[in-house]
Amino acid sequence: MNQQAMSPRRRGLMLGAAATGLAALTQPLAVLAQDASEIVIGGSIPMTGVFAFAGVGINDGIQDYVKIINDAGGIKGRKVKYVPEDTAYKVDVSVAAFKKITSQNKVNVYYGDSTGFAKTINPELERNGNILMAGASFASELNDPKKYPHQFLVGPDYTEMFGILLKHIAKEKPGAKVAFVYSDSEFGRDPIEKSEAAAKQLGLTVAIKIMTAAGSVDVSGEVIKLRRAAPDYTIFHGYILAPIPEFITQGKQQGMKSKWMGTFWTMDSSTVMKMGADGDGFMGVMPYRYYYDTEAAPMLEKIRAMRPEYQSTAYTQGMLAAMLFLESVKRCLDAGKPLTGDAMKAALNSLKDFDTGGLIGVPISIPGNSIPVGRVYKADMKAQKMVPASDWIKL
Amino acid sequence: MRIGTLKESYVADAALFDSRTQHVWLAIAAAALLLFPFMANDYWLYMACLVAINIASSAGLNILTGYTGLVSLGQAAFMGLGAYTVAILQLRWGTPLALNLLAAGVVAMLGGLIVGVPSLRVKGLYLAIVTIAATFIAHFLFANFDFTGGTSGLSMRPARVFGTDLDTSFRLYWLIVPVTVLMLLGAANLFRTRIGRAFIAIRDRDISAEVLGIALLKYKLLSFGLSSFYAGVAGGLFAYFFRVITPESFPLSMSIFFLAAIIVGGMGSTLGSILGAAFMTMVPELLKLVFDLLPGGADLTVFLAPVRLVIFGALIIVFLVFEPLGLAEMWRRTRRFFHLWPFKN
Repeated sequence: MNQQAMSPRRRGLMLGAAATGLAALTQPLAVLAQDASEIVIGGSIPMTGVFAFAGVGINDGIQDYVKIINDAGGIKGRKVKYVPEDTAYKVDVSVAAFKKITSQNKVNVYYGDSTGFAKTINPELERNGNILMAGASFASELNDPKKYPHQFLVGPDYTEMFGILLKHIAKEKPGAKVAFVYSDSEFGRDPIEKSEAAAKQLGLTVAIKIMTAAGSVDVSGEVIKLRRAAPDYTIFHGYILAPIPEFITQGKQQGMKSKWMGTFWTMDSSTVMKMGADGDGFMGVMPYRYYYDTEAAPMLEKIRAMRPEYQSTAYTQGMLAAMLFLESVKRCLDAGKPLTGDAMKAALNSLKDFDTGGLIGVPISIPGNSIPVGRVYKADMKAQKMVPASDWIKL
Repeated sequence: MRIGTLKESYVADAALFDSRTQHVWLAIAAAALLLFPFMANDYWLYMACLVAINIASSAGLNILTGYTGLVSLGQAAFMGLGAYTVAILQLRWGTPLALNLLAAGVVAMLGGLIVGVPSLRVKGLYLAIVTIAATFIAHFLFANFDFTGGTSGLSMRPARVFGTDLDTSFRLYWLIVPVTVLMLLGAANLFRTRIGRAFIAIRDRDISAEVLGIALLKYKLLSFGLSSFYAGVAGGLFAYFFRVITPESFPLSMSIFFLAAIIVGGMGSTLGSILGAAFMTMVPELLKLVFDLLPGGADLTVFLAPVRLVIFGALIIVFLVFEPLGLAEMWRRTRRFFHLWPFKN
């Protein structure tokens, strides 16, 4: 009988746990009344988990832009409220965050954390009809205004990123041999098929396509295959960092003369600098200016004044997303239109030669679901910076 | 031992719910489940559906791991088989929901039977590794066949029942929760039968079980098959719930989640499956709600997010250290306390 006894301490612990649970359950009922005039940005943000390296920057970027707008009096006098939730980069948690935020607030625009989330929540967005969404995904599949009418990408899609790189290659070395190295994932495979056709159209030869496991470390077999193909340019996609440094180091050791390239999620300055000396000259497509770019950019100056330490390109992505969200809202309000998903998307699509304050180096237009513009940057390991290797390329 | 529950027959002794108190509580629980959708907002309905799906899958894993003693890390793969079966049947042939869910269970069961074959020769960690292989094979198949949509996966239309699209959490609740309740009743009943008792005998000592005349291969495969059937149906519900399935929807970490759920909840207990899955799904969300009470808004969220995960991890450790038999045992102890109250327990 003694084994079954419930000690006072245990009972206390259980009562404490029950009280905490009760407090949590009743909390949504006690949500502070929302100011009806507020513009609400909801966010499923990956502040923990495998994508936290970007999520924290995205969160800061959105938050800073909201602060800039609110400090300037809001949008037509209406304050902007940002409501983020951590998702740990899991689709079911992201959807839960969406449901929670939209249950507690009248959300106008929403930032989603992944392709999986964007696809899963799309029917909900269509049913709701009053939310415009963008996010961390650059999946080519989402660049379809018919299928995803209330969403957009905050930059070029992955196929367009490849298009920008291939255009640069075709200009720099006509008829060059190109290799695609990509991960065996939805992310990795995304642009490969279409980009092979695009390369052909530009007169380039795709010498080899190598698919690796997403988290692979030992790539010596693949490097040998790559060396045999002897490409002039090797484009990596579907990775953040590993196994790119392994490819470059082993490739260089084996005498490869290829130029090495990457796409957006590899191209943050802090990521490329981790490649060390072998990463010198590593190139890739970047739709935004880097934090330390010296070309005239009032918004970058504002960012540097607010945050003196380096801010990642994920930060810029978050800030640009917030900027485009709120510009769409502003245009709707200016035109006296209701803040519906359709109206906000139409307002977004009405952007012609829109000045992002220098976050993107050229004025942008968004005719569909993406911003098909970018620039090739190159790693300067001595200066520990990414420096421009091309002019801005529009597709 | 509870007083006032005199049994006059073996049937009464073996009854699943054997006292008036239990019947009253069951009626209250049923009423709560019926009323919940009318009182809860979309977020809580979503969470209820998600918890129910996780409970269904955990109950299946508990049959295999908790009751039969065969460790499996392939539950997500079997869920994937079920989810893809539902999606393919719906998209290609437009077959009805009930048939799709049944087919999801059967296809996953076949997968389970194949993966279960080595269980006669290997057990423990070795068997866990075999089932991990199932996860990778399933992922490869999902990602490389055209009819599974490759890496992009498949997007489904909402399930349709009597002309109504099940396209909201409210509507899906009436599909997911009843199916889960049925599955739980099935699991609870299983262990009143010869089959269920054979599973327990195998778990306690497989050599002795064989000596007693239990055909090990048959019952081990049956356990794998039943467990995978549960996972398949849960996967089918998952497909109808999220309506987008990709190979990345069913990662190894999902299998680990279910294993953790039954360990935390209580292995070899249907109640353990319920409590464990509910704990693992809801505690991170409840912690978010508690943290939301703190002042600081978005500024604080980024700092508190990792802290929340640490607390969640610590909670699991605390539960396992102070109650290795899981939440189900805590529940039983609490129940005993009230059974005997006000006498010293």
